[in-house]
Amino acid sequence: MKRPRVVSERKRAILERSPPPSNRSRPHFWLKEEKRSDVEEALAGTGPLPLYISRTAEAEMRNHSISSGNQNLEAMGLLLGDVFAHSKKSYTVVKNVVTTDLEASGVSVSFHRNGFETLFDRLDETDFDYVIVGWYHSHPGYTCFMSPKDIETQQRMFREDFHFAVVLDPLKLQIEAFTLHGEGCISVPFAVYQEEHEDPYGRKKLSLKPR
Amino acid sequence: MTTRISVKNAETGSSVEMELEAENTVEEIIESAASYWEVSPGAYVLRRGKAVLRGQSTIVEAKIREGDVVELIPDPEGG
Repeated sequence: MKRPRVVSERKRAILERSPPPSNRSRPHFWLKEEKRSDVEEALAGTGPLPLYISRTAEAEMRNHSISSGNQNLEAMGLLLGDVFAHSKKSYTVVKNVVTTDLEASGVSVSFHRNGFETLFDRLDETDFDYVIVGWYHSHPGYTCFMSPKDIETQQRMFREDFHFAVVLDPLKLQIEAFTLHGEGCISVPFAVYQEEHEDPYGRKKLSLKPR
Repeated sequence: MTTRISVKNAETGSSVEMELEAENTVEEIIESAASYWEVSPGAYVLRRGKAVLRGQSTIVEAKIREGDVVELIPDPEGG
């Protein structure tokens, strides 16, 4: 019997696009002070950061980690977004996140075997042509790091330069993003960005002068 | 008689066209795609629409038809 045979491949192109502007991007307020300064410095520079997370996606992850953390459970989900290039550097934008029912404890987490239908529903509800650019999960009370199991997951599934892991600790109010580097993972700077239409106060004031 | 389908890699946005025989299983589709993209086959599930395609099912049992688009979805574990 023949095995399935790949006959052709269509690669997704990486589009050239400016990153979210620095006046609508900021460090996460759960970042430690020194890391916050690093992000501010990077935002003032010329090149893009490796990772931008929308305010919507950030709030979803944070709220999920808090609600699970209140029950001393880990939270987890997938990061949906896209990869772009600017000034000969690629960067990742996380626009949204999806999750489903989980098998979780205070020290482990995975998708519940009966949760995939819900997960796929949520993927189908996404209003853009997503790429799964990584995953997020929480360590309630244990700080942000990549455990041996987390590194194994990163190595098995998220090996591209544009793949990231976001780890949150909702009890210590910490967040950090990681990517693969050699046999392990390194922390990377990231910014939370706000879409232009999300800021109702960003418009010019109406003139009240009489004509 | 072969069946040709598209397999999308959700982690990169790339996709491959794949030729299948009636006896091929879902597991073999995952293994072939994972081997092509050099990723670990055990770390993924295959979906068609809302449904998870089960590993040991043949493409006939899984009702996979010519022109179907299936998607490889990561199944991470955290600790």
